[in-house]
Amino acid sequence: MLIKVSSASNSGLQTIAIDVEINVAGKGLPAFEIIGLPNKAVDESRDRVKTAIINSHIQFPSRRITINLAPADIPKEGSFYDLPIAVGILASVVGYQLPEESLFFGELSLDGTLRHTRGALLLSLFAKEKGIKNIFVPKASANEAAIVKGVNVYPIESLNQLSSYFSGEIDLQPAKYIEAKDDWMNAQAEFDMAEILGQEQAKRAAEISASGGHNLFLVGTPGSGKTMLARALAGILPSLSEKESLEVTKIYSASGRIPPEGSLVKTRPFRAPHHTISRVGLIGGSTKPQPGEVSLSHRGILFLDEFSEFPRSVLEALRQPLEDGSLTISRSRERVTYPSRFVLIASANPCPCGYLHHPKKPCLCTSREVEKYRKRVSGPILDRIDLHIDVPVVDIKELAKDRRLKDELEPSAIIRGRVIRARETQKNRFFDDGIHTNAEMKNKHIKKHCPLSKEVRHLLQQAGMNFQLSARSYYKMIKVARTIADLDDSRDITVSHMAEALQYRPRVQERE
Amino acid sequence: MKNIVEISDPKYPSLLKKIDQPPEKLYYKGNWNAALFEKCLAVVGSRKMTSYGRQITAKLVSEIAAEGITIVSGFMYGIDAAAHKAALAAGGKTIAVMPCGIDLIHPEYQADLYKEILKNDGLIISEFEGAFPPALWTYPRRNRIVAGLSLAAMVIEAGQKSGSLITAGLAEKYKRKLFAVPGQLTSTQSKGTLRLIKAGASIVTCAQDVLAAYGISNHKIPGEKLRSLNLNKLERNIVEKLQQEPMRIDALSRLLEVTASEIGTSVSLMQLKGFLFEEEGKYYVN
Repeated sequence: MLIKVSSASNSGLQTIAIDVEINVAGKGLPAFEIIGLPNKAVDESRDRVKTAIINSHIQFPSRRITINLAPADIPKEGSFYDLPIAVGILASVVGYQLPEESLFFGELSLDGTLRHTRGALLLSLFAKEKGIKNIFVPKASANEAAIVKGVNVYPIESLNQLSSYFSGEIDLQPAKYIEAKDDWMNAQAEFDMAEILGQEQAKRAAEISASGGHNLFLVGTPGSGKTMLARALAGILPSLSEKESLEVTKIYSASGRIPPEGSLVKTRPFRAPHHTISRVGLIGGSTKPQPGEVSLSHRGILFLDEFSEFPRSVLEALRQPLEDGSLTISRSRERVTYPSRFVLIASANPCPCGYLHHPKKPCLCTSREVEKYRKRVSGPILDRIDLHIDVPVVDIKELAKDRRLKDELEPSAIIRGRVIRARETQKNRFFDDGIHTNAEMKNKHIKKHCPLSKEVRHLLQQAGMNFQLSARSYYKMIKVARTIADLDDSRDITVSHMAEALQYRPRVQERE
Repeated sequence: MKNIVEISDPKYPSLLKKIDQPPEKLYYKGNWNAALFEKCLAVVGSRKMTSYGRQITAKLVSEIAAEGITIVSGFMYGIDAAAHKAALAAGGKTIAVMPCGIDLIHPEYQADLYKEILKNDGLIISEFEGAFPPALWTYPRRNRIVAGLSLAAMVIEAGQKSGSLITAGLAEKYKRKLFAVPGQLTSTQSKGTLRLIKAGASIVTCAQDVLAAYGISNHKIPGEKLRSLNLNKLERNIVEKLQQEPMRIDALSRLLEVTASEIGTSVSLMQLKGFLFEEEGKYYVN
């Protein structure tokens, strides 16, 4: 008897329909085979399904069972074929009528219960797109799939439960649609800006970075508070919009990073990989292309501490995602595109020993070594960072004494208010342009949205000569000035805005 | 024709002959011009130059070189290179003494400076021929030529064990005048120079101090740049604070109780107008 069960397989963020065909033959020696280019995980599905059925006290047929995964020429991976295969065998043995227009998806445990399986959200989105009414997924993954409106998501606990449902003994209710509400949690930052003493200029740079989505490069001696500042920056970002949240959740679902019972990702991602990360780890890849840190930090922050310590080949790979906001990973078998629109916060020491220009500790590096260290990060990468700022070491004890100063420090919540307003302005401005932030502006957008007065242009030209700005830096300054003007609620970029923007120029080329 | 001057040659610098073990032969690049050796000043200092060192080298050496004194140094990075550059920038004369064979450029990455020196009628000399590699022992040998060529030696920044102290010691041994530039008591790069001053080296507070040793007295101090008087209140406050002590924007912001954003704006504008300049994040009044 031949049974067809529908399922779907995810490749990157794309989903394709898979038909699972189960034939339990009337004749022949007992056997259990899976064909249709299964990989190891799919092949092992035989043992899981067989044991799970037996442990659910259902008779496993001693017959020749052939499973075909169609289309047969696409390699199959993953453990989620367990459920459609088991359902097919049950249907052919017990003779249930399977519900129509349904997708089955999930990994079985040996005791017959279902385990949290990655990619449930993508399946649910696929069902909606194709007009498929019902999807059956493990209970632990149901919240994730129930984000999508108009699809009945049936949370399944075990094979027994499903079997009872098919035989009409019990009724199953689809999981409740989880609405994206405005009760987003604000990103829980480890530090509040008010906890950081001194660093007035660096804090201002962080505010500009958060407002315009500009990448930020912090240079300073160890202990000057670079890491603290980067972490506090997460707390002044606006919360995710519904659309952004879905984008992020898709990536997390595809890579199995949504915890059991988890649902929408509501906080902006903050990723801080260590500098020993491999290139594949950072940008994604492997034979079955997985999202890397750049995609996991989509719509959030990618914090690369000790930027100069990252291998050059790893850093160079950042160019495309920084430029395009997405990344295509091509492998012999498949090509996958993941979004990667993140704000890069990089931090580095000024020299190998870290104490260059430190007021108290002597620097042990020769100027040659300092030069070499600086050159570790290539020009093209630095060119893609809009804001460059020195984070000097501060005498915390001295500053902490000054009570007046401490009481006046702005908390993150107030800064965040300004950031949100500036983002709102940008949203309205770029309504027709398909971009969100000033940092994303290409030259044509700059021409359109940043007309410069004669005075401002003069200032910029003067700065170009005095500070040896590259052509690319020139445009970066305009983008940063645009954000500063937005923070100032100003329609035009004034001389003051441009003058402040110049503070955040890269100073590398100027040094001897 | 090979560029060699032997000790028997009348062109051989007479001052250099007076030292113990003067080099038998001097290999050189550039045009040998006896006038170059008339009034030489050795300028030496730390490789680990601080921003203060860079500033003061540029200021003192350019003023001295502008009066026709030849600046002799060792072509090392740090103060040496800064001294050569300052001399060239002032349109003065300079001689670089190499610690290696005449055909090598050491350090290699200063090839641009090397070319600049030759282009501006400077001289590169060495007692080592061909591609003789620099070694630990060649540096002190080179230093004796630097000191030997010069009527006086000026040390700008030297650490506790700086090689420039060897040059200073040699200059004293050869009975040449020794100058030292004072630095901050807290700076490790001032330890050596301060010790020299304590031991009796002449203190340098302006270019005139050095020029007097060469019999030049009517040196004019370049007048203070005319400052436009239409500074606004914030700008005046900033200039006032910076005149007391160079500082960062953060510190200015705290002292004046003005946001970093406003200070940054003013400072950028004043920097572009040439009132201020920046070194390692700190702003100085020009």
